[in-house]
Amino acid sequence: MTPDMDGNEPDEMARLLRERLPRHQAPSRLRVSVADALDPPRHRRPSLWLAPALSALATAMVMLLWLAPSLPRSSPDQLQRLSRAVVSEYARAVFAEEVNPGAVPASLPRVMRESGVILPWVFTGDQDIQLVNAPLAYLEGGRALALTYQDHAGHSVSYIITRAPNVAIPDRERVQIARWRPAVRTEDGFALIVWKQAGLVCVMVSDLVSDADLGRFKEYFIKFRSSTEVSDSY
Amino acid sequence: MADDEFRQQALRHLDALYNLAVYLTRNGSEAEDLVQETYARALRFSHRFEPGTYMRAWMFQILRNTFLTFYRLREREPALSEAGVPDGEAPMFHHAPAEDGETAGAHMDLERALGRIPEEFRTPLLLAEVEGLSLEEVARIMDCPVGTVKSRIFRAKERLRALLTDYGGPS
Repeated sequence: MTPDMDGNEPDEMARLLRERLPRHQAPSRLRVSVADALDPPRHRRPSLWLAPALSALATAMVMLLWLAPSLPRSSPDQLQRLSRAVVSEYARAVFAEEVNPGAVPASLPRVMRESGVILPWVFTGDQDIQLVNAPLAYLEGGRALALTYQDHAGHSVSYIITRAPNVAIPDRERVQIARWRPAVRTEDGFALIVWKQAGLVCVMVSDLVSDADLGRFKEYFIKFRSSTEVSDSY
Repeated sequence: MADDEFRQQALRHLDALYNLAVYLTRNGSEAEDLVQETYARALRFSHRFEPGTYMRAWMFQILRNTFLTFYRLREREPALSEAGVPDGEAPMFHHAPAEDGETAGAHMDLERALGRIPEEFRTPLLLAEVEGLSLEEVARIMDCPVGTVKSRIFRAKERLRALLTDYGGPS
């Protein structure tokens, strides 16, 4: 309870708030889940198998750490699998003609939250290419954020950002584009540019595959790369 | 503070935290998410809690900071403007007890009016007048001087009064 600015006794509005504003009680499901989260593990029944299991796990982890330097950090198949998933998502979006530029400002915050990818800056377009949709994409069971652009010639370009920590970009596929060195590859007849940014994997995909079109695709990459900032919310 | 004591104390504030979360997010399920995240953070940072200080205010502070970090972007509220009240109204969820038409109407008007006040004004008003926190505690939660809190509460009431007059409610 607070006095007014001039130090008067609590006013009518304060009384109104205390007496008439409904108080929302936490639903019982929330109470249960919070209590569960707060429940210290030592209160749970100790399992007889836990100690040997933990011991075995610790041994396995030590072995893994010892072997880690000699293990391949990432299989090239992971990049290929991701590329195929991105192409499938792109083809699905193109087939469905998902164009909804008016909804982008409203949908983007929700898509960012649900995908776990934050975009402090977004390239919304210029005279050559325009942002037309920002849906949630699903790649190999994980969520990703997709930015769909359409250029003046009607080509669709998708810019998909996902958390895929095991995907490595092989050096042999890297190409110098302006001041960056992303991988440029083709998959099922579509062109892709793949790079890592802020710990996230970014993939651009398009049907711009001819030599002339590929030049344009790289120009779009420069625009996206220099004008979009990404970060991981986790 | 022992973990058990910390957990027991933290759980006591669930209803108050949920109530504020509903008025911040204006959505029941988002309020639940916000409260869960608040408790997760509180537990993670429990070692930073100073025994002897007011846990309720500390939990409110975590809730508000979490809201500002993850949820406010979605509200698309305009930046704090001393002059303006944001346009449009967002639906609010509540599980109010059964009541007669006139009282229910008054509640709806009050909630509706509260929803139209910027968060920077709404939160100190709720903390001070509904939750009964002291101005010093509210200032700590809002991370601003006590004078600013007083000013915001005063302005919040003025706006609320004007909005309720618009709706034909008490002036």
